[in-house]
Amino acid sequence: MIEIRDLRKSFKAKTGTVTAVDGVSFTARDGEITGLLGPNGAGKTTTLRMLYTLMTPDAGQVLVDGVDVARDAQAVRRNLGVLPDARGVYKRLTARENIAYFGRLHGMDEATIAQRGAELIAALDMADFADRRTEGYSQGQRTKTAIARALVHQPRNVILDEPTNGLDVMTTRAMRGFLRRLREEGRCVLFSSHIMQEVAALCDRIVVIAKGRVVAQGSADELRAQTGEANLEDAFVKVIGTDEGLFA
Amino acid sequence: MSTVWTVFRKELTDAFRDRRMVMVAFVIMPIAFPLIFAGMGAIGAKKISEKLESTLKLPVEGAERAPNLMAWLRQQNLEIVPAPADIDAAIRSQDEDVILRIDPGYADSWRGSEPARVDLVFDSSRPMQSGTTIARVRRLLDAYDSQVGRLRLVARGVHPAVASPLLVGNRDLATPDSRFDFAQQMIPYLFILFAFIGGMQLAIDSTAGERERQSLEPLLATPATREAILSGKILATAAFALAGLVVTLLAYLVVFTYMPIGKGGMSMNLPVDALWKLFVAISPIVLLGACLLTALAAFAKSYREAQGYLPMLMFLPMIPTLFLMISPVKTQLWMLAVPFLGQNQLILRILRKEAILPVEWAVCLGVGFLIAGLVWFVAARLYHREQLAISG
Repeated sequence: MIEIRDLRKSFKAKTGTVTAVDGVSFTARDGEITGLLGPNGAGKTTTLRMLYTLMTPDAGQVLVDGVDVARDAQAVRRNLGVLPDARGVYKRLTARENIAYFGRLHGMDEATIAQRGAELIAALDMADFADRRTEGYSQGQRTKTAIARALVHQPRNVILDEPTNGLDVMTTRAMRGFLRRLREEGRCVLFSSHIMQEVAALCDRIVVIAKGRVVAQGSADELRAQTGEANLEDAFVKVIGTDEGLFA
Repeated sequence: MSTVWTVFRKELTDAFRDRRMVMVAFVIMPIAFPLIFAGMGAIGAKKISEKLESTLKLPVEGAERAPNLMAWLRQQNLEIVPAPADIDAAIRSQDEDVILRIDPGYADSWRGSEPARVDLVFDSSRPMQSGTTIARVRRLLDAYDSQVGRLRLVARGVHPAVASPLLVGNRDLATPDSRFDFAQQMIPYLFILFAFIGGMQLAIDSTAGERERQSLEPLLATPATREAILSGKILATAAFALAGLVVTLLAYLVVFTYMPIGKGGMSMNLPVDALWKLFVAISPIVLLGACLLTALAAFAKSYREAQGYLPMLMFLPMIPTLFLMISPVKTQLWMLAVPFLGQNQLILRILRKEAILPVEWAVCLGVGFLIAGLVWFVAARLYHREQLAISG
């Protein structure tokens, strides 16, 4: 379970201070898929980066399975599987070696790494290319490798930053199936997206972010009820206040 | 600790699969450096022996005024040619190294047993090009001078030894090991440079490159501490530099042992016990270089910026050498504490087979590792910056 309370973060830019995240609070429960929806530049990636301890919040609190990120970042990272916005893989290593490297960094033993790697390669349909060096992989193959690498240690909580970005239709469908499987295993899945249809199709709970704030949250039905719009798309446009950057 | 080992192994695997990096570090550099040095040494030796022994063309103005001198010079393997019309211009334009002018009053002075005047015209500001030639002509004139002088004394019934009140003998205390040649003189520089920046490719690739390829962010999202990741990368850089150094040194020894290089004996004798001492002496520089390169790669905003710092780093090990050229001083204990300077001194003394006191080892290694530790600390601070992983 991931709890985020009143998170704030601003950056110094040449033109002055830019507030990227301005009081974001929400909860992502185990056994659910929570979608972080918002237009580009809404503060999704910054929120997630604070969650997986890459950035320090200016204010607010992040709890992962009850552990405060500020108190024990390392313990938090142990219970997280992260697919960051940056999903570079080591191009001179094979997919299998990429996965094994992260398994070792998680302190797993070689036998478990090999077994878990084989499971993920099967689950993500990577067998065709898993033992080839990742140089020359397609975007989809790279993303699959990055996801397998992030989940090698069977984390309770899975964070994915725009997981379907740049994937073709078939791969996107497979990815959605994979996320549902993670939910069935009782994991807490939190992913961000700027694509409304995707969030609507997958998520149990939706958190809508715009300009660094949470503007609405709840299930798809709740959102429709809140806005009084029968169409989910109209509901989103209404809570965000603009349709800019939402349908890219 | 296991994280350090994991990162270390991964970085070396990654580096050794990079064909270009391996080619540069283990093939091109080890071949190029010894060959350049060997070539420079061979050309230098050849040039010197040519100038000393080959027939030298000496332009002489007024050769007809001193036929005996000319005949004697011809015997000494000199070819007398007429001097150009404008002597000064010929020297300035470097057409001639040296021109001999026989004074118009030469014959009269000679007959009167007065010192007869000859002038050597040359430009001493170009010792590399003309120094050997000038010295050769001057030595011949001196020899002729003293030879004729002695004959004149004998002709007057005086023993020629009277004119030589001083007999100067030379006793050189240099041992064959301390009088080492060009090839060995380059060894400290070679050692320090390769130890210091031999791992540059790996260091830049594993930090600045990793960030640019967007794999640093996922790496930092694992439970591995940044200190452990950093240390693994630094140790991999150091190991890579050390491996490159070993290969280069082997190539160097092979080239200088088996290549037939001119006169002057480019013999190399590096016994095994001196070899391991050299590697112990250089070890702080290997670590210092790895820490510094990794810190720079973490500091730089991009791969290209990191590469931009390299010329500066290459200059750093040269500073002590330049310092010693400007003011050559006796080795003192404090000098061993200065990075690069200390290693330079230590390596020179190992090559000269001089004894090194335990306290000298302790100072040189202790201070070296301490400084490397400080730079590691700076690198760790840089690795904790929020901007480190954010590539876009």
